[in-house]
Amino acid sequence: MDALSMGLVAAMGALATVAGASEDIESDVGSQSNPNSQVQLAAQVGNPHRIYNKAISGEPPANALWATTAAVVAYTLITKFAMPALFAIAIGASVAALFNGVFSTSAYFGRNASQRRFNQWIYLDIVRYTTTSIMAHAWITAFCITCIAYIQTQILTPHHPFPMPVIALIWGLTVGAIGSSVGDIHYGGEREFQWRLFGQGLNTMLSGQIVRKAEAGLRNSIDNAWFCTKLGGPLTGLGFGLTVFLDNWRTTVFDPVTQAGLAIGMGLFFVILMNLYNFYVETSIRKKYGPYPGYKGDIAA
Amino acid sequence: MNFDALTIVYILEIVVGGLLVGVGVHFVPVGGAPAAMAQATGIGTGTVQLAAGSGLTGLLAAGLMMSVTDNIWPILASGAVGAMIMIDATMMTGGWIYAYAVGAPFASAKVNYDPITGYSQPPYVAPGTVGQGIPTVCYVSGTIGAFMGGLGGAMIYYPLMMTNHNPSLSALFAIGIFLVNAVLASWNIQGTIEGFHDPKFKRWPKAFRSCLVATLILALVAVTITGGA
Repeated sequence: MDALSMGLVAAMGALATVAGASEDIESDVGSQSNPNSQVQLAAQVGNPHRIYNKAISGEPPANALWATTAAVVAYTLITKFAMPALFAIAIGASVAALFNGVFSTSAYFGRNASQRRFNQWIYLDIVRYTTTSIMAHAWITAFCITCIAYIQTQILTPHHPFPMPVIALIWGLTVGAIGSSVGDIHYGGEREFQWRLFGQGLNTMLSGQIVRKAEAGLRNSIDNAWFCTKLGGPLTGLGFGLTVFLDNWRTTVFDPVTQAGLAIGMGLFFVILMNLYNFYVETSIRKKYGPYPGYKGDIAA
Repeated sequence: MNFDALTIVYILEIVVGGLLVGVGVHFVPVGGAPAAMAQATGIGTGTVQLAAGSGLTGLLAAGLMMSVTDNIWPILASGAVGAMIMIDATMMTGGWIYAYAVGAPFASAKVNYDPITGYSQPPYVAPGTVGQGIPTVCYVSGTIGAFMGGLGGAMIYYPLMMTNHNPSLSALFAIGIFLVNAVLASWNIQGTIEGFHDPKFKRWPKAFRSCLVATLILALVAVTITGGA
């Protein structure tokens, strides 16, 4: 272990945290992934809305596409045109953001046009100012992930044997999986249904009854991003940051050649620790919140 | 290429890896889109997506380990541990949102008592939902699933590397084989499962058989590709 490697691993963790946060906000402001099912359903059950509606694909493949596009462009610029890495990665991320913009716009138009029979409108002002926000967040995600891939393949020792685009593809898939598992709950479980009773999941009867009014005026996706930035985004960042940091930290602190056992053992230690911690959280919230008052079964709480 | 005894061993390793992925997916507690609305127990995403996210993180760890050693055991262990770290970090942070943002206690709707902690479940299931959050049994099951997925991914990657000595080619082929098995298993559980305590888990032999056939074909193709960039 040397100081530079530890610094690089720390930088990767920080980049991953930012990437995770921006990934989640990108999906929230565009209303992609799981909670999009409710946005899509809303118009069909008589609630036309001004929420951006793009579900290009699941978050993991979508983010894998942005990250890989950025990495391929950056890799080409670095290797064939000898461009400085930072500029090359920035240009790569810009290309990825443009791709994102094309997909987002066509997804919004396509989805809302197909819901015309439910009185759902296409709002051009929403397209104008939300799409750029989505693209900006996609840019940050693609930039950070390509930076991580660059550090892993070019600077951190031992260099990762996979090429930059493949690493970007895998991290893109992973950040999407985490964003869709963590941040989506804050958007889908909390922000979309704020007027129901607090402290429970969405009752199936309320499906599609999303909140359409904002603190002032009608709610749009920028309002949702504002809310989700408070918890969903940062926690997604934390999840992805922990994954990248813990996974690389153990092979940096312990030499994978001579201390492979320790590196693996340290990983197992983290895994056991997180399992125990989840048990603690489960126990503490059961005590704190108690059972649901309306429960009429015969199983004691 | 020479089709010798070693090649048959490599094919078998790929098949075992594919089967581990296929069966491992059954352990991962995924509730799909309803879980993202805290309407179902498990992680709020798709089976394949989460399995791929964790398994491929393991593949990255295994790839790094294989660049410094040829010993199969640290490579497999690295893959498994990398995948477990990813899924545990995801479930932990996701759990925080269920617990502290949605404000719902974790509960499974598939069992009356958590098989590990013995905690009662039905009183904590919110009305109109089929559970929410990630109770201990789901968390442990997810960790086991990631272990199998990461192990499987590494076990697919190792023989491919031994055959073609090209990390990028092997990685992409391993990702492909991984996804095929994850998708087959996902069809078998129809998209959502809570873990090994879920009645759907009993369907795993069907996925086992289909993954066996699919991976065998893929393995035969994979070991013949010895070149590459």
